[in-house]
Amino acid sequence: MSLVTVKDLTKIYPSFTLDSVSFSLEAGRIAGFIGRNGAGKTTTIKAMLNLIHPNAGEISYFGLPLIGNEAAIKQRIGYSTGAVNYYPKKTIREIVDVTKAFYPTWSDADYHTYRELFELEESKRPRELSEGMKVKFNLLLALAHGAEILILDEPTSGLDPFARDELLDVFGELKKRGVAVLFSTHITSDLEKCADDIIFISRGRIVDALPKEAFVEKHARENETLEETILRLEKERKAT
Amino acid sequence: MKNLLKKECRLAALPLTYFFLAFGFMALLPGYPILLTAFFVCLGLFQSFQTAREANDLLYTALLPIRKADAVKGRMLFCAFIELTAFAVSAACTLVRMTALKDAAVYRQNALMNANFVYLGFLLLIYGCFNAVFVRGFFKTGGGLMKPFLTFGVLAFLIVAVGEALHFIPALSAANAFGFDRPGLQVACLAAGAGLFALLTFAAERSAEKAFEKVDL
Repeated sequence: MSLVTVKDLTKIYPSFTLDSVSFSLEAGRIAGFIGRNGAGKTTTIKAMLNLIHPNAGEISYFGLPLIGNEAAIKQRIGYSTGAVNYYPKKTIREIVDVTKAFYPTWSDADYHTYRELFELEESKRPRELSEGMKVKFNLLLALAHGAEILILDEPTSGLDPFARDELLDVFGELKKRGVAVLFSTHITSDLEKCADDIIFISRGRIVDALPKEAFVEKHARENETLEETILRLEKERKAT
Repeated sequence: MKNLLKKECRLAALPLTYFFLAFGFMALLPGYPILLTAFFVCLGLFQSFQTAREANDLLYTALLPIRKADAVKGRMLFCAFIELTAFAVSAACTLVRMTALKDAAVYRQNALMNANFVYLGFLLLIYGCFNAVFVRGFFKTGGGLMKPFLTFGVLAFLIVAVGEALHFIPALSAANAFGFDRPGLQVACLAAGAGLFALLTFAAERSAEKAFEKVDL
């Protein structure tokens, strides 16, 4: 059964339309949501988190529609909306103390494990963190409450290659625990490294959403890398 | 709701908002338009809204495991908490003026509004207007500050002017009663203020929740 189903999601802005976006996420699989800047990745993710109001479409988690079950669903998902600077002058300890009260499933043991792994100091303030550390902090909050689905908007942007590699390894660990991960990116090598499924979006429309092997089989030409395939598909769409 | 209030107090609020609670003691100032107490307390709340917006508080709150609309509930709860705390300080000072200091010359010769239950009723009306105009406007626009606050400011000063002018109208001079004189009128004004505060706050919260649901963050 799909953990997340997005069906015909549509959001109309004056200069951009997210047009009937549909895909699903499965437990224990990592889905890479790829597309160039402005393709509609963040709009889709914001709609999935009820941050924006779609014009049409349905989003459901665990078989329940998001609208009407928002609080219960958010208990079971984790998210990171890029390297957003929340409460820049508060310490990480203060933010965590307040946040964990909202999650009955919060695990202090998991929190400390990941905090040590990410080398985050509780006495630091978000304004003192690098972009990569801010992403890790968001991820830490998501992981400590045992999220079954992780939705991450450009988590690898701004990370150095080492930090990116570590983060993708964490995704691998989560996958083994049955967590479904959706991460948006415009870095194709992230997909090569860890994605099981590829959701390719261009100009507000889903070009294809398939397991990685099926995607390569369907779209790649001989001796073409995944990056070359995606770049070519994007150029072809631009030309039409 | 307890967690949301804790979040507002510990993460979103500016310490200045708590310091501004001391304006509740303005009820003891002789020869001063003491209704401005409410405006200053609301100014303190405005500072917290500004700081919270800069700290991406709305986005953070909307991502917590609550309904998006509960972000409105949390903030309204915080406002009501600050307003009622300031009101309690003002009420305590007013009671001192109405009892122990009832005949103090400095208050008897006061040409401006007297501290009594009518004054307390007007305070609640201004707090209710802050919730209805500013807080509602803030959520309706997804974080707009200046226009809602300027609108509230104009309204607040109008209410202060009306409150201050009321007792100069011969038929309404009893509004400036000393101590527990004219108890019926005083209690009626306080009850009306309390009713309007509750009504405006409740209506503003419902309306802001609906509007905020449609706001794109």
